[in-house]
Amino acid sequence: MNLVQQLINGIVLGHAYALIAIGWTVLLGVARLVNFGHGQIYMLAAFVTWWSVAALGLPYPVAIGVAVVAGIVIGLIMQAAMLRLTFAQDLVSIMIVTLGFGHMMRGIAGLVFGGNPQVLETPLSWVEFEIAGSWVTAQDVAIVVVAILFFLLLHLVLERGSLGRTARMVAEDPKLAQLAGIDVRRVYFAVFAFEGAAVALAAALVAPRTPILTNIGFEEVIITFVVVVLGGIGSVAGSYLAGLGLGIFTALFGGFVSPAYATTAAFLVLIVVLVLRPSGLAMGRASR
Amino acid sequence: MSPVLEARDLRVAYGGNLALDIPHLALEPGELVGVVGANGAGKSTLVNALLGWSRGTPSVSGSIRLDGEEIGQLPPHARVARGLTLVPEGGAVFMRLTVEDNLAAAQAPRGSNRRAHDEAEIYALFPRLKERLRHHASMLSGGERQMLAIARALRLGPRALLLDEPSIGLAPRLVADVLRTVRGLVDEKLSVLLVEQNVRAAIEVVDRLVLLERGRILASGPAAAMRDDPRILAAYLGEAAA
Repeated sequence: MNLVQQLINGIVLGHAYALIAIGWTVLLGVARLVNFGHGQIYMLAAFVTWWSVAALGLPYPVAIGVAVVAGIVIGLIMQAAMLRLTFAQDLVSIMIVTLGFGHMMRGIAGLVFGGNPQVLETPLSWVEFEIAGSWVTAQDVAIVVVAILFFLLLHLVLERGSLGRTARMVAEDPKLAQLAGIDVRRVYFAVFAFEGAAVALAAALVAPRTPILTNIGFEEVIITFVVVVLGGIGSVAGSYLAGLGLGIFTALFGGFVSPAYATTAAFLVLIVVLVLRPSGLAMGRASR
Repeated sequence: MSPVLEARDLRVAYGGNLALDIPHLALEPGELVGVVGANGAGKSTLVNALLGWSRGTPSVSGSIRLDGEEIGQLPPHARVARGLTLVPEGGAVFMRLTVEDNLAAAQAPRGSNRRAHDEAEIYALFPRLKERLRHHASMLSGGERQMLAIARALRLGPRALLLDEPSIGLAPRLVADVLRTVRGLVDEKLSVLLVEQNVRAAIEVVDRLVLLERGRILASGPAAAMRDDPRILAAYLGEAAA
C-alpha cells in the first residue's frame, strides 16, 4: 500500500469531512441547535446536483449553485417549522423533528429521483494529476481548495465585523441579544439557511466520488458528529483540524489495517479523546 | 406634555397566576421615576413587560405606548429599535466580548434622530471603561459591568431607559455614584424608569416614586411627598409610621 497515496486520500477525505460538518458546527456554535436531518440534506443536494447536470443539462458549476439554493430552502423550511422549539431551546424535540425531516427527505428523494444509484460525472472527475507517483483528480483538488477557502472566509466573517459579533452575541445569550436590538429570529433563520447551504455545497463537491443513493447520508451525519465533537463544539478552526485529522486517520487505517473497521476505529478515537479531553481537541471557544 | 412611555391595563400572568396588574403608569419626558417595593412585588416583571422581554414565558396583555405609538405587540428588538431600552438586573453584558465589542454592538438604528451617546461621551461618563476597552467583560468588576451595561443602553439612543436594580451587589459608595450618574442623564432630558430596592438611596434622586406590592401600585407621588408617606416610612426607611 502506497503511503503517499493514502495520505493524499486522507487529506482529500479530511477536507470533505470538514466541509460536510461545518454547517453543523456553526449551527451548534451560534444557535445551540442540532440537525439530525443533516445527512439527508446532503443526500438530497447530491441528487439535485446530479439531476441538474444529467436531466437539465446544466454546467456543473451552475448545478452546484442550484444545490446550494435547494439546501438554503430546506434549511429555511425546517427552521420555520421549529421556530418555537428553537426559542425554547428544546433540544430533544428539535432532535426528533429534524430526524423526522430527514426521513421525509429520504421519502421525497425516493419518489422524485427513484431508487437507482446514480453517478454524478463532472468535468473535473476526468482530469488527473500525478504527485510523487500517486494520483489525484481535479475533483479532489477542488474539494480541498473550496474547503480551505470556505473555512478561511468563515473564520474572517466570524472573527471580524459586525456579522461575527452578532453571531457571538446570540451564541452567548440570545435573550440579551434582543436587548441590543438584534432580531434573534432572523439570526436563527440565517444560521439554518447557512447549515443547509454548507452541507449542500459539500454534497455537490463530494458526491461525485461515490454513487448517489437515497440511503446515503447516515454515514455523513455520523462523521459530522465526530468532527463537531472532536473539534470542540462550535469551534470553526477545531472542526477543520478534526475533519482533516479524521480523514487522514480513516485513510491510513483503511489502507493499512482494514477499510471495514475505519468508522469503528474513528469512534474509538472519539471516545478516547472525549475521556482525555472532554471539551474536544480545540479548546471550545464558541464560533471561533 | 404627553408622556414618553405610557402603559395602560398592563397585566402579566405566569401560568394563570396574575403577577402584575397596572391600570396606568406614565413616564414624562425628562423624568426619573423610581419603582420600589419588596422582593417579589413585581418590579422586574414590570420593566420586563414594558419591553416584552422575559427569561420565562409569561402572558402579557395591555397597551404600551412609546411617544404615542403603540408598541405592545412588537417583539423586544423592535421596541429597542424604536428607542425603549432595558438594562436588566445584574448589569447584563456579553461576557465573552471585549468592552469595546460590547459597546460597538450597541448602535442606534441608522437614520433615527434620537440622541445616542457617542464614544467620547461614554468615556467622559465612565472613564473606567476607556481603560479597560480590550478586556473581556468577564474580567470586569460588578460595578464596571453595570457601567458597561448602562453605557450600552445609552449607545442605543434611548427615548426611555428602563433600569432594573443598577445598584444590586454594589458597594454603598458605588451605589451613590451610579444613581448620581442616572440623575445626571435625566437632567440632560433622558426619561428613566428606575427599579430600586435601596429606597433610601433612590428617594434622593428620583422625581416620582411608585410603590409596588404584590404586582399592584400601592402608592405613587412626588419623591418629596412620598418621603413622608407612612407606608414608605414604615417599610423602607426604618421609621415608625406617624
